[in-house]
Amino acid sequence: MSAPSTSEPTALVHLPAELRARTREQASIAVAGADVRAIIVALDRTFPGLRFNLCAETGELRPFVNIFVDGRNIRLASALDTPVAAGSVIHIIHSVAGG
Amino acid sequence: MASQGTRAPRSGETVVLLGTKRGLFMLRSHDRVEWECVPAGLESTHVYNATLDQRGGRQRIFAADNGDFFGTFLRYSDDFGQTWQEPERGIQFPEESGLSLNNIWTIEPGRRSEPDVVYVGVDPASLWVSEDAGVTWSLNAGLAQHPTREQWNPGAGGLCLHTIVPDYAHPERMWVGISAVGCLRTDDNGQSWQFMNKNTRAGFMPDPYPEFGQCLHRMTQSPTQPNVLYQQNHCGVYKSEDGGENWIDIQRDLPSEFGFPIALDPGHPDTVFVIVEEPMGRFNVGENFTVYRTQDGGESWQPLTNGLPHGPGVRLGVLRHGMATDSHESCGVYVGANTGQLFASTDAGENWRVIADYLPPIYSVSVAVIE
Repeated sequence: MSAPSTSEPTALVHLPAELRARTREQASIAVAGADVRAIIVALDRTFPGLRFNLCAETGELRPFVNIFVDGRNIRLASALDTPVAAGSVIHIIHSVAGG
Repeated sequence: MASQGTRAPRSGETVVLLGTKRGLFMLRSHDRVEWECVPAGLESTHVYNATLDQRGGRQRIFAADNGDFFGTFLRYSDDFGQTWQEPERGIQFPEESGLSLNNIWTIEPGRRSEPDVVYVGVDPASLWVSEDAGVTWSLNAGLAQHPTREQWNPGAGGLCLHTIVPDYAHPERMWVGISAVGCLRTDDNGQSWQFMNKNTRAGFMPDPYPEFGQCLHRMTQSPTQPNVLYQQNHCGVYKSEDGGENWIDIQRDLPSEFGFPIALDPGHPDTVFVIVEEPMGRFNVGENFTVYRTQDGGESWQPLTNGLPHGPGVRLGVLRHGMATDSHESCGVYVGANTGQLFASTDAGENWRVIADYLPPIYSVSVAVIE
């Protein structure tokens, strides 16, 4: 895995097992983007269709998808506009539902 | 996405596809006596509906993959569930519509005369059309922009378009069923849609006979008389003899007006099957799980129980896509329960047996004879 060549900050994104079919079995990937929205757009370029896994057509994050930037849930920050710093670690997980 | 499927079914075999709460299953049999049941993929998702399309030289399974967390997708497989593909342009609302896909409810291959056309109905209520065998999809604008749309209300399962009946006799005509809106018909290939709910009751509404707002649960068309339709409604069982313009109450002595599925014997289309339930608990009325059959187009009903479970603890529910019939001369009837059993009859409902058990709750049943 190598960081993309870009002037934007690059974050390390950890992906859940449920999306590995989409991500060609990659569990994590370095992605450049100034905020979470840009990170998702970049992920979708690499793995077409991934944006629709994470966001509804309206652009909103799906209700049972949680994204943490450096340990903080973006719903408690600026949602998809939450900024990403160089070296940030992003976790994409789904809600613990049903238990 | 790979699955653990085994060999493909052979010509002449009967194939039953089961959409369940956890994945797709396939049963196959050369004689409808010995059945083999195998998982067919999509094991972690809610498969509301699946169908085998054998037109145009294909053997393509379409399935509704309604996931828990990461979205809803139509998928298709050309190897009986061993691998699955996504459309190149899938079912996604335009961003400016303000709508987002909740669940895919039904997948309906088009007419024999249009072998590459496939229809899909979803929640929020809308009709999607593919003209290239499922590779790309477009939203039907006529229904999406229906002038009454803002007044449509969902049923318990959402505002779902769950039934699509393309008229085999008139290529520009189609009926759809939406909960809780009712029946709509187009006569201009989907450009405009008219309500077809006359005389169907909406007992839960202040006006029990509104123009729309009925909770149609499932609808089917006679294969020999194109203007004859049957529907199981939240409030009764109905028949139309004029293409949906008027509906006739054929509930008669059925023990409940509430039920979900309806299916007919394609070789004897006056023979229709329903499964009515307790409306609150949504399971069999009384202690006998019962399929009801008419053989005279709804003039009378017979309870069919031979081989079906009975007892004080028997509480089985069957969802709207949970019953299907095959095309054999001695009609096969297949009923999937929300308790994970698949019941089958090979004599138009006279006798039943369990041909699959311990499955997840069954959402849908479809049947095909391999060409």
